[in-house]
Amino acid sequence: MFKWKKLFKRLGVGVCGVFAASVLFAGCGGGDGDSKSGNPEVLKVGVTNFADTLEPTQNYFGWVVMRYGLGECLTKFDEKMNIQPWLAEKWEVSDDKLTWTFKIRDNVKFSNGTPLTAEAVKNSIERAFAKNTRAATFFEYESMTADGQNLIIKTKKPLPGMPGYLADPLFIIVDTTAEPARDFSKEGPICTGPYVVESFVKERAVMKRNENYWDGQVPYATVEIPSIDDPNTRAMALQSGDVDVAVNIAAGDIDIFKNDADKFHIDEIASLRVVLARLNQNPDHILSDKKVREALICGCDRETYNDVLLRKTFIPGKAPVPPSLDYGFDQLKDPNAYNPERAAKLLDEAGWKDSDGDGIRDKDGKNLSLDFVVYNSRAELPLYAEAVQSDLKKLGFDIKINTVDYNLIDGMGIKGEYDLLISNITTANTGDPEIFLTWYWKSNGDGSNPQNGSGYSNPAYDAKLEQLSSEFDAANRRQLIIELQQILLDDAASLFFGYPQTNIINAKYVDGVVMYPSDYYWITKLIRPAK
Amino acid sequence: MIEVFKKNRLFAIYSAGVVLILLVAIFAPYLAPQDPFDGNMRNVLQPPSAEHLLGTDKLGRDTLSRIIAGTQVSLFMTICLVILLAIVGSVVGITSGYFGGKVEMVLMRLADMMLAFPGVVLAIAIAGILGGSVVNTILALLVVGWAKYARLVRSLVIKLRNNDFIIAAQVNGTKTINILWRHILPNILPMVVITGAMDIGTMMMEIAGLSFLGFGAQPPTPEWGLMLNEGRQYIQTAPWLMIYPGAAIFIVVATFNLWGDSLRDVLDPRQQ
Repeated sequence: MFKWKKLFKRLGVGVCGVFAASVLFAGCGGGDGDSKSGNPEVLKVGVTNFADTLEPTQNYFGWVVMRYGLGECLTKFDEKMNIQPWLAEKWEVSDDKLTWTFKIRDNVKFSNGTPLTAEAVKNSIERAFAKNTRAATFFEYESMTADGQNLIIKTKKPLPGMPGYLADPLFIIVDTTAEPARDFSKEGPICTGPYVVESFVKERAVMKRNENYWDGQVPYATVEIPSIDDPNTRAMALQSGDVDVAVNIAAGDIDIFKNDADKFHIDEIASLRVVLARLNQNPDHILSDKKVREALICGCDRETYNDVLLRKTFIPGKAPVPPSLDYGFDQLKDPNAYNPERAAKLLDEAGWKDSDGDGIRDKDGKNLSLDFVVYNSRAELPLYAEAVQSDLKKLGFDIKINTVDYNLIDGMGIKGEYDLLISNITTANTGDPEIFLTWYWKSNGDGSNPQNGSGYSNPAYDAKLEQLSSEFDAANRRQLIIELQQILLDDAASLFFGYPQTNIINAKYVDGVVMYPSDYYWITKLIRPAK
Repeated sequence: MIEVFKKNRLFAIYSAGVVLILLVAIFAPYLAPQDPFDGNMRNVLQPPSAEHLLGTDKLGRDTLSRIIAGTQVSLFMTICLVILLAIVGSVVGITSGYFGGKVEMVLMRLADMMLAFPGVVLAIAIAGILGGSVVNTILALLVVGWAKYARLVRSLVIKLRNNDFIIAAQVNGTKTINILWRHILPNILPMVVITGAMDIGTMMMEIAGLSFLGFGAQPPTPEWGLMLNEGRQYIQTAPWLMIYPGAAIFIVVATFNLWGDSLRDVLDPRQQ
């Protein structure tokens, strides 16, 4: 017994010492001199992966199927978010705007050799509708028919966003005839991309060249994709040459690579994402009072958060849609820009006063105490939360940070189990912000819009959304989207923190690595060994 | 008392260290040069300088002030935990040791079950389910740790139970509660105190470990394990955010371990 105790104790001291020492060394080591020239047959990419399986219709796992170079859609977005042909070589819409005809490419084969026909595409899209209710939130069709290489989709109402909807990874085209012989969720789906699955677990995927690829030679025989969830570890893996490419290097580490421009290439772009805090406005919640919401928003010094704390890797937030998309960012007026004096006044007006002198405002015996739900897998989220906590404390808010696992966030958002809930959301997964503006703020009175668990509801907003959903004219759409955003700002509907830049960094012996704003395409056939 | 220190030079030195740490913890609010919670967000991640001796963290808060404030948090949590462990362990141990029979069997099988689990893993699970907070961390480690004390106390009580002075007390008709309080407890107390003192370092490490993993103290509490975790993101660009909290843990845990060892040497005559 005593021996054990001693050993444990010594171990305690030892581990602590080793830890301190390793920190010292890690701090001093520059890590040069061990650069590898790269294996021209094997590509190693450090990523973050949230998918448990490669079934494209499960949750958002389709994103991963596409990012890993396995799945492709009928259409895709280019670097400027314009819609480009992919598996469909062209499309047109009838004069009454209700019938879409997509012409599927002739020369495409699935990785198992089956030729891609309109019939196969139809089956695949029907499969997505059958397996995931999210499909119907994009569009609903009256009929879908296959005619040779032509896919004809008829809709009940005009849907201007159709080509963009079909670029969503939920609609990745899979070979449905391969089922049930192959279990897609275990072995990965049969798709048309440049690489096929050799093995997949959440932590590590190995991809092989697709010998039947339709669009030219595939550069690498093997792609190894370890999922390195911790951003610092990912940066170090890239520094040490354990991976050749890494996505989303954090603000704290990106300077290391900028200072080593001979060895690393950085592709950093403004993403389409926004980091926001949903504010729970359901009755009985403190934030159902608009004055408190306004005070909360204008008590947050968002410029400092983004410019200083995050070192300009984020653009300071104001509106729902980031400035990288042309939806009137500069003409939108934020009534709740940073102004702590006004925030204090608003709280006084709303009846929140610090009557017991503990530094926290209260009203009717209840403290101004809010539950802020965050998750950690993105480095900036806890930082925003703590900065908000610190700023709002000066105003007499008591913000309790509740860190939960990422997988719980979606459910908590839907059920409304929060006062503030942080999210990092893409605003234009179908090419424009319509879906984003619908999911998170359209009234959910009858439970028809579960993503909006915040209780926000404004009939004027809903009416404009309805108008937007059947508007084909681009200029009118833009105007509607600007007006929608202004309503959200005036209602203090959510707290928009900032818009992330996103990056992908590669060692210079690899070429063709590009970060797309849509964030769907990481491993493409364009990535190849540098000459 | 002074004689004890004279006879045990090392014990005197370690005790002085412990007293120093306790003083820092008690007077932390006065010793911290700046507010450990409120920083200047325009002044983040500054390297050590005359103004900020140990630099500033990601929200512009003074690292030195946070480490000093952290002494209070860490020591308070650790000492609470150890005292609770000793109390719960003693109560269970005395009950099962003195009364024996079915009570003993149930309690000791329960203790065996707890001892069979890997402690830290179970603590992580419990803290994870309860949600991260200072109280829940202490609870989690208490649930995991009591069995060791209960076992120890039970074995001591069984040895005592059949001594003549206990039997004499029983024959005289002394109330059971008085026997336990006046005769049993004083005899087992030194052993419990020694074990507790030697556990302080280990428990401090475990608390810091849970906080490091996000299951303990929550931001913005200046807790050392939590500070290590926060600094981890800047390990390459701002290493002082990990080095100094790490050094604080190292120094305090080492001091308490050495002190616990020498306290045993002083209190336990068999070791001399």
